[in-house]
Amino acid sequence: MEVDSQEQLQRKQSTYLSLDENFEIQKEVYRGQQYSQIYFARLHMMRTLLYSLVPNWKSHLPVCTVLELEEGKECIIVGTLYKHMKLKPCILDEYSKERSVAPLIKPHNFMHQDDYLVLEDESGRVKLGGTKLSPSVYVTGVVVALHGKETSAGAFFVEDVLEAGLPPQIERPLKSREDKYVVFVSGLSIGSSSSNPLQFQLLVDHITGHLGDEEEQGLAAEIVHLVIVGNSVEISHGLLNGQNLASKDQSRLSEPFKELDILLTQIAASLPLDIMPGSSDPANFALPQQPLNRCLFPGSATYNTFRSCTNPHCFELDSIRFLGTSGQNIDDLTKYSEAKDKLDFLERTLRWRHLAPTAPNTLGCYPFTDRDPFLIDSCPDVYFVGNQEKYETRLLKGLEGQLVRLICIPRFCETGVAVVLNMRNLECHALTFGTQISS
Amino acid sequence: MATTSKNMNVFYRQKKNGTTSTGKKSTKSPSPKHAATFGSEITQPPALVSHGGSLDLKDDFDEQEQVLRQFDMNMAYGPCMGITRLDRWERAQRMGLNPPKEIESLLKGGKVKLESLFDGRV
Repeated sequence: MEVDSQEQLQRKQSTYLSLDENFEIQKEVYRGQQYSQIYFARLHMMRTLLYSLVPNWKSHLPVCTVLELEEGKECIIVGTLYKHMKLKPCILDEYSKERSVAPLIKPHNFMHQDDYLVLEDESGRVKLGGTKLSPSVYVTGVVVALHGKETSAGAFFVEDVLEAGLPPQIERPLKSREDKYVVFVSGLSIGSSSSNPLQFQLLVDHITGHLGDEEEQGLAAEIVHLVIVGNSVEISHGLLNGQNLASKDQSRLSEPFKELDILLTQIAASLPLDIMPGSSDPANFALPQQPLNRCLFPGSATYNTFRSCTNPHCFELDSIRFLGTSGQNIDDLTKYSEAKDKLDFLERTLRWRHLAPTAPNTLGCYPFTDRDPFLIDSCPDVYFVGNQEKYETRLLKGLEGQLVRLICIPRFCETGVAVVLNMRNLECHALTFGTQISS
Repeated sequence: MATTSKNMNVFYRQKKNGTTSTGKKSTKSPSPKHAATFGSEITQPPALVSHGGSLDLKDDFDEQEQVLRQFDMNMAYGPCMGITRLDRWERAQRMGLNPPKEIESLLKGGKVKLESLFDGRV
């Protein structure tokens, strides 16, 4: 074994720009507001946008508000969708004396064939009829424009739908790029019984170049960034039941973080790393989740390559825009709508231009008053979601030439799979560790 | 119980002579004083207060407060609850809704309630 090779391999670098300012809530002051404010901000922004798109869609029809609807008059209305779901858990069910429709065992998906959609704006709401708008696809909180007419029953018969569509994408300069890789990993769940420390250590060793021969190390040197997409730790629920912890249990509480910090220090010493909070991490529950406190990472936080980020997370590497979440938004869509696969949900959120349309209805969200930070103004080049069952990816092409790489990142503790993206051509492949085989 | 029309005045407090509420409905182009009502068809009805309670007309129902209440009620600027009037005005300004400047000067001038109509009541 050669001790010293002739030349040292240099890791490639890329310029990083954080765009998380929109998701930070340090400056927000809670004044007792309710969620009507964020819905108003969302409706106003999306409606202004849809009004500008309607002339290209159907310019001959008048646009009116819900209250201005007249029976038989064909027109276009814009508003927020509300889906009435029979099986959606409601706090009032606890108090109702009659037997409710919802079964005692909570289903994973709350859809029912009797679900119907309602369109709402500030003036009023109207029930939607017709087959064009499928309740199984849409969820509460999506803003759309609808073409149709009011029926004698008082419902609005939908003939056509206009979604906002993919947002405009900033043109990337077409310089000849070299191969630079970004690694995504999510669901490490350190501290849970299913996590295998060896698997993550193998990943760390591979990325930092401690594995393999020179060729392997050369490949590792082309990795410029690592993103940890949520659920890095899992603390057993027995410790979190509100009881005072005995001193021997207190160390059990901090062990997952110590283990994570040791591994993150190894990574941070080698390349820039972003860590996002997830549903099982010690961050706030409501979206947007704030960055994990640096005190949790005494070793790795000293490095300037270590960055604690919000969830959702938006950043640019060499002017390629990345946008992604730790999975709560897509998991909520899975509960309240259906699609062939998770990538369809990702695509829908892009077409609706909203990261988490079900927030704040069924997904916890901060009650912003003057903006909705989940609106997507500019189309990302890479759109990812973490903590999914399996690795899936697709290249989405928009009507105006947008090109987006959609990625579903699987849970590492269950699959041993990390995702590697080549920034030159937006191609993706899986990196599997251990004896598990990814699908 | 039947009351003659003469006695109805006992139950309904008279509006002050100065305020005119009929002007808003008839004109298409509202005067600057009532610009806040543009777009809202709901006029502010006078409150029903029984005699015996103190009639603090100046504080609750002066001209300025009426105009501000119409601003609160106007749906175009979004919900009024849980947000101060000035914040709501500034938000409307940022969103490009062009709220009337008189409201801003009224709110910044002081001596008016900064909280919306429903504050503390809902």
